[in-house]
Amino acid sequence: MVDITSDRIETGDRSVARAKALARYRIPDSIFEVLTRSAAIVVLVILGGVILSLIRGALPVFETFGFDFLGTSSWNPAKERFGALAPIYGTVISSLIALVIAMPLGIGIAIFLTELCPMPLRRPIGIAIELLAGIPSIIYGIWGLFFFAPFLQANVQPLLIETFGELPLIGALFAGPPYGVGLLTAALVLSIMILPFITSISRDVFETVPPMLKESAYGLGCTTWEVVRHVVLPYTRVGVIGGIMLALGRALGETMAVTFVIGNVHKVAGSLLAPATTISATIANEFAEASGDLYVGALIALGLILFFITFLVLAGARLLLLRLEKRAGA
Amino acid sequence: MPATERREKVSVRDLRFFYGDNLALKNISLPLYEKHITAFIGPSGCGKSTLLRVLNRMYDLYPRQRAEGEVLLDGENILTPGQDLNLLRAKIGMVFQKPTPFPMSIYDNIAFGIRLYEDIPKSEMDGRVEEALRGAALWNEVKDKLGASGLSLSGGQQQRLCIARSVAIRPEVILFDEPCSALDPISTAKIEELMDELKEEYTIAIVTHSMQQAARVSEYTAFMYLGELIEFGETSKIFTTPADQRTQDYITGRFG
Amino acid sequence: MALTEAQLAKYRRRARGGRIRMALSLGATLVGLTALALILGALVSKGIAGLNLAVFTETTPPPGSTGGLLNPIVGSVLMTLIAVAIGTPLGILAGTWLAEYGAHSKLAGVIRFINDILLSAPSIVIGLFIYELMVRPVGRFSALAGAVALSVIVIPVVLRTTEDMLRLVPTQLREAAFALGMPRSLVIRRVVYKAASTGMVTGVLLAVARISGETAPLLFTALNNQFFNADLTQPTASLPVVIFQFAMSPYKQWQDLAWAGALLITFTVLALSVFARALSSRTK
Repeated sequence: MVDITSDRIETGDRSVARAKALARYRIPDSIFEVLTRSAAIVVLVILGGVILSLIRGALPVFETFGFDFLGTSSWNPAKERFGALAPIYGTVISSLIALVIAMPLGIGIAIFLTELCPMPLRRPIGIAIELLAGIPSIIYGIWGLFFFAPFLQANVQPLLIETFGELPLIGALFAGPPYGVGLLTAALVLSIMILPFITSISRDVFETVPPMLKESAYGLGCTTWEVVRHVVLPYTRVGVIGGIMLALGRALGETMAVTFVIGNVHKVAGSLLAPATTISATIANEFAEASGDLYVGALIALGLILFFITFLVLAGARLLLLRLEKRAGA
Repeated sequence: MPATERREKVSVRDLRFFYGDNLALKNISLPLYEKHITAFIGPSGCGKSTLLRVLNRMYDLYPRQRAEGEVLLDGENILTPGQDLNLLRAKIGMVFQKPTPFPMSIYDNIAFGIRLYEDIPKSEMDGRVEEALRGAALWNEVKDKLGASGLSLSGGQQQRLCIARSVAIRPEVILFDEPCSALDPISTAKIEELMDELKEEYTIAIVTHSMQQAARVSEYTAFMYLGELIEFGETSKIFTTPADQRTQDYITGRFG
Repeated sequence: MALTEAQLAKYRRRARGGRIRMALSLGATLVGLTALALILGALVSKGIAGLNLAVFTETTPPPGSTGGLLNPIVGSVLMTLIAVAIGTPLGILAGTWLAEYGAHSKLAGVIRFINDILLSAPSIVIGLFIYELMVRPVGRFSALAGAVALSVIVIPVVLRTTEDMLRLVPTQLREAAFALGMPRSLVIRRVVYKAASTGMVTGVLLAVARISGETAPLLFTALNNQFFNADLTQPTASLPVVIFQFAMSPYKQWQDLAWAGALLITFTVLALSVFARALSSRTK
């Protein structure tokens, strides 16, 4: 009996000591939680800050030009007349062409890597394609300017003009002299840049296809292509589309790769070979030298439009991918 | 063992547990006797692990899980909102299904928990670490490599390290959640031997899938089924003359 | 049962069509690999030609004369370090909140979503934001503004990898720490961080790789500087911006330096990614 009571007293003492020790942690513990939460909220503050500062900076432009800013293509800093049509057109068209080229290539590479490539080569080729994503965009730009554009100018563009230039309708797309730099060149460089994004997301979602599903298709006597076409692609459709939209978001906002090779001309030209400009290229080229509230404001307004467009595209992509994650989780 | 000497260290009274709207434990009442081993058996999903996780309120880490009723530790209800969970968990240790050594050295795995609550000089800490490792029958195997990572040990050794870690902070109750399910028979035997020694000082609850293990190590057994406590009593009695047909069916291997 | 002639013929057609399409996928891969080879080839041949000791010891020259890239190299390193020093703690703390505290709450969902968007938001817009925030009010471009713009790019990268890595830490390890009566912040800092440390370091390395090539956010925050400068409140040169300026110029010496700089940046970025990859594969 005596033993038991002394035992209890000791336990009681220990509790008191422990409570004291723990009290030390209470304040740091809550500080840490508050710190982490504040840091998380910084993300929202950044988004809010981006939106607010762009709106504030763009305000003078929308006050002066109203929505005409979006609809006109004249860009004359000397006379302080600004219209966003040419850069918007250049941004959208160059990105869409890039997407049309990169989509089949990117998905094709993903198919090759998941279904066809011999096992020992999968890793090295996968890494090589990912290296493409790791190269900074300015490198694409400088390469495009010094190598790719001259190459296109000398070899590809004359051929395009010769072949398609005389045709009705599409002839207009390939009119004019081969400048080298221009919309098509920018689109091609962009397509190489976004290729690895499409590949890596497609590959990730292809690997989520349950092996049983593929095996049962093979069990019916399907060829590899038929399994890809009728099982893998339908099963992963949402994810692949999400990946493509993500790549589109990248292409729309890409600055350096485009700025080097687009030609920087504020004109909505019908020809894909003609020099043009994009939103980001315009800002990159002109911002540091822009003077006057209206000129700076016009460039910031362009930034706002770009942010708005990419936000929509990226949000759409994320929502699609999120839906996919939920399905995989359920 | 005469009935008068046993004291209820933990008393579960009318405990109900919810996962969201799902009732997972239905009005459970049972005691854990001080310095005895109580085993919880029953088919998967019967709620035995859930019950264990109520005893140290581990469920509090997750949203939408809640317990109603009372769990008394030395007469004090630990389910009250004001309860300091860290203190509670220092009093009620837990050993998990898979060994969970922290990513640090063997020595630090043990010293870490002690340092949380006590500021003691290095020499005393060395003593405490040794004592804990001896208590977990691990000292002789690791005394020459205390600086090695806890992850470098074998599975059975890792599990004993986790027991040592629990013992080191001198808890009053230790909960074992299927501690041997990831171990080979030899390691399992060592852990069981160890539990037999530990009950000299600690009140022990063990959840196990193996009826043989329950029969070997425990003095009391609770059989649970579909969130209900079907039967609780002395282990020898549960395994020889169960009162309930379902207990009988389970221990004779007719389901589960 | 043997196949009829018609069935066999159909099968052969199917098989041929399939082979052609799969061959196309091989073609796509070759296109990708060729592009990589062409870019790296051009970079290495032009870059090595432009590389010499002066690149590391002399400052950027006026048009028409020779010089080096010392000031942009120092500027880039400086701004990258500051950006990492600002962005890493914020990213890690925020990722910690998402993984350990916020988890399934609505707020966490929103933050996660917004972060994913910031992860691929146009970096030039980030530049505009910091311009409005830090350059316009004081009327001067500065290294600090450049560093903050880069840190805004670091945060989402570090946040994302931190959260992913913390989620990989087994729940049981956390519970085991809680079972000792450890307060939550200690469980996170001493046990969970330790278990996830290599992954988190990988995230920081990837963020450094990402910002070392970034040009757009620096164009009108740090701007450029022809001279050596270590004052954070002054306009400062950076490698990407100097490459942009020099490559677009008509001067041969400037173009050569641009290629040398491009090689340096690419080498750094690829080395960082390879190192990060090696680190993360070693732990698996």
